[in-house]
Amino acid sequence: MTLGEGDREIFAGIADVIVPAWERMPAASAVGVHTHLLDAVLRARPDLADGVREAIEHCRNREANEAINSLYRENRSAFDAFTLVVTGGYYMAENVRALIGYPGQESPEYDPYATAQYLTDGMLERVTRRGAIYRSTPR
Amino acid sequence: MAAVKPVASSARQGETADVLIIGAGPSGSVAAKHLAAAGFSVVTLEQGHWPDANNFPGRKAEFELLAQKQWHPNPNVRDLPRDYPIETSDSDINPLMFAAVGGSTTLYAGHWTPFLPSDFRVRTLDGIADDWPFTYEDLLPYLEEIEHEVGVSGLPGNPAYPPQNAFPTPPLPIGRAGRKAAEGLDKLGWHWWPGTNAIPSIAHNGLNPCVRRGTCMTGCPEGAKSTANITHWPHALKNGARLVTGARVREIEIDERGLATGAVYIDENGRERRQKARIVILCANGIGTPRLLLLSRSSRFPDGLANSSGLVGKRLMMHPFSAVLGVFNDPLDGWQGPFGQLIDSFEFYETDEKRGFVRGAKWGAMPGGGPLGATSFVGSKVFADENARVEDAWGANLHKLVDRRFNHMLIYGIIGEDLPEESNRVVLDNQLTDTDGIPAPKIIYKVSNNSDQMLRFHVARCLEALEASGAIETQVVHQMRDTGWHLLGTCLMGDDPKKSVVDRWGRTHDVPNMYIFDGSAFPTSGGLNPTATIMSVALRQTKHLINERRNAEAA
Repeated sequence: MTLGEGDREIFAGIADVIVPAWERMPAASAVGVHTHLLDAVLRARPDLADGVREAIEHCRNREANEAINSLYRENRSAFDAFTLVVTGGYYMAENVRALIGYPGQESPEYDPYATAQYLTDGMLERVTRRGAIYRSTPR
Repeated sequence: MAAVKPVASSARQGETADVLIIGAGPSGSVAAKHLAAAGFSVVTLEQGHWPDANNFPGRKAEFELLAQKQWHPNPNVRDLPRDYPIETSDSDINPLMFAAVGGSTTLYAGHWTPFLPSDFRVRTLDGIADDWPFTYEDLLPYLEEIEHEVGVSGLPGNPAYPPQNAFPTPPLPIGRAGRKAAEGLDKLGWHWWPGTNAIPSIAHNGLNPCVRRGTCMTGCPEGAKSTANITHWPHALKNGARLVTGARVREIEIDERGLATGAVYIDENGRERRQKARIVILCANGIGTPRLLLLSRSSRFPDGLANSSGLVGKRLMMHPFSAVLGVFNDPLDGWQGPFGQLIDSFEFYETDEKRGFVRGAKWGAMPGGGPLGATSFVGSKVFADENARVEDAWGANLHKLVDRRFNHMLIYGIIGEDLPEESNRVVLDNQLTDTDGIPAPKIIYKVSNNSDQMLRFHVARCLEALEASGAIETQVVHQMRDTGWHLLGTCLMGDDPKKSVVDRWGRTHDVPNMYIFDGSAFPTSGGLNPTATIMSVALRQTKHLINERRNAEAA
């Protein structure tokens, strides 16, 4: 999908209504949801391109807050596609991930032979002591 | 009629195989491995392809976005060329599946929860549905063998189950989220146990150890979730089995004696081909198998193949499912796996009629996922208020929601037993087709009052459990729509040919050299994830076929 600078500016304006700056968190446009992140999201999800295009057209030459509210009322599928592109891109941004403490899907080390806490603090033993809870096969 | 006299050779293209298997999912793969090892020439037709772990999205930054489309479990959402569409406008639940070597386990969570003794005796114990033609104890040796092939991880001694052999790999860590769930159940004095999963914690049978990436349900990029393309097919191929991928079966063919002679399929270049065989085994899942039987109409079988009972396609069970989310003050490392069950609970599994319904459900505690998981679960946006105003769900409130939920969530998934009803069924749609023009299945399915009452009871208990764990916020999605992972019951197993489709060994009553080894044959569904039992039953039926091969009828 080819978007001109003007289209991206419209995208940024309405994206900032969806994800504004708040406390420690940056606004959507501040992390590039309308530039490189938009391109990355649409490469991954080309099915969302039509919704993005419809959202931009709907909001062209309108005040962003009013435009996104009317998009929500009048074209829900475009609104859903647009908000998924914005939030999907936003939470892919490395600085946003750092701020919320999300390293991405990582592979933390563990020892498969380590003795679990539930085995040493009595928690699982209490389950065992209550005894079997299944119904046996009737004879 | 000729008996099968297997020779240790593979069937070449154009030759008649001893056995044709349709579908390379968990049941078909078990059959292929063991039949090939016993010297049968085996050809398997699979409509999907070999999964490529490099394509699985778990290591990509776009993981959560891809999980909601290309790797969504609903074939109608994915809409990929190898998926067949399913007409679901008359169904309360969307069926889920994946076409590939390994089948739908490519996208399963790997919860390993074998059926319990009572699941095989529902009629005797609870006066409803049907008993199975065999017992838990009959199936146990096959289960224990399958658990070693699969590489199950778990802790022995679970009092929800009778004693059995130990699992081949140690349990996976339950993590902070599992610990939080267990603390609540411990306070209430309710059953819980560290999760048993088809996800090995150490290298086993071609599988790598789990690295807890937490992306199990979009394919494991580490090769650490047990799927038959890793655990079974290398053995089957080594023993001469032939696997044809991209092969969409259109019809089972029958000779003048009423025996199955093989199948007609469309290859991936759109050419019609024919695979002949002395024995045919269907393993195409609880929708694909009855679809194929209904497609295989003939003057001899005008209502579909093996359908003299009229039960082909009927009694579809899909396990109505609810999810209960709990939010906690403590960080729970919610993106870490397994995704997988961290712990499970069978506290309310068995029938107590005072509750207002019969049978029960199993709970599995799962982590909350990444930041988009604040409003979604397994690819579907179910934890969002569809009627919320823009300012309620977005803007500063989005930040507040993610701050509150991300890394602070755990989710109980409730799998309730689905009782068989003939009105819940698979038929052929009269308009929709797959990309090869083959009629698509249509699902007619209503969630029963028993299931509705059961889920509401269990949701209430889950809320109590989460409260006992210290949840500061909860949310319920009652009877989630995209949850038809378990496709069961549409070709009933039983001893009476007038009231069932296959016998206790999976052989169809009407076509003596045709078998059904997948979950279609299940008389009841249990209230838990069925893959362990599907694979165990497939092994039982396969071994019987091997042992009885000199008596088996063959085309």
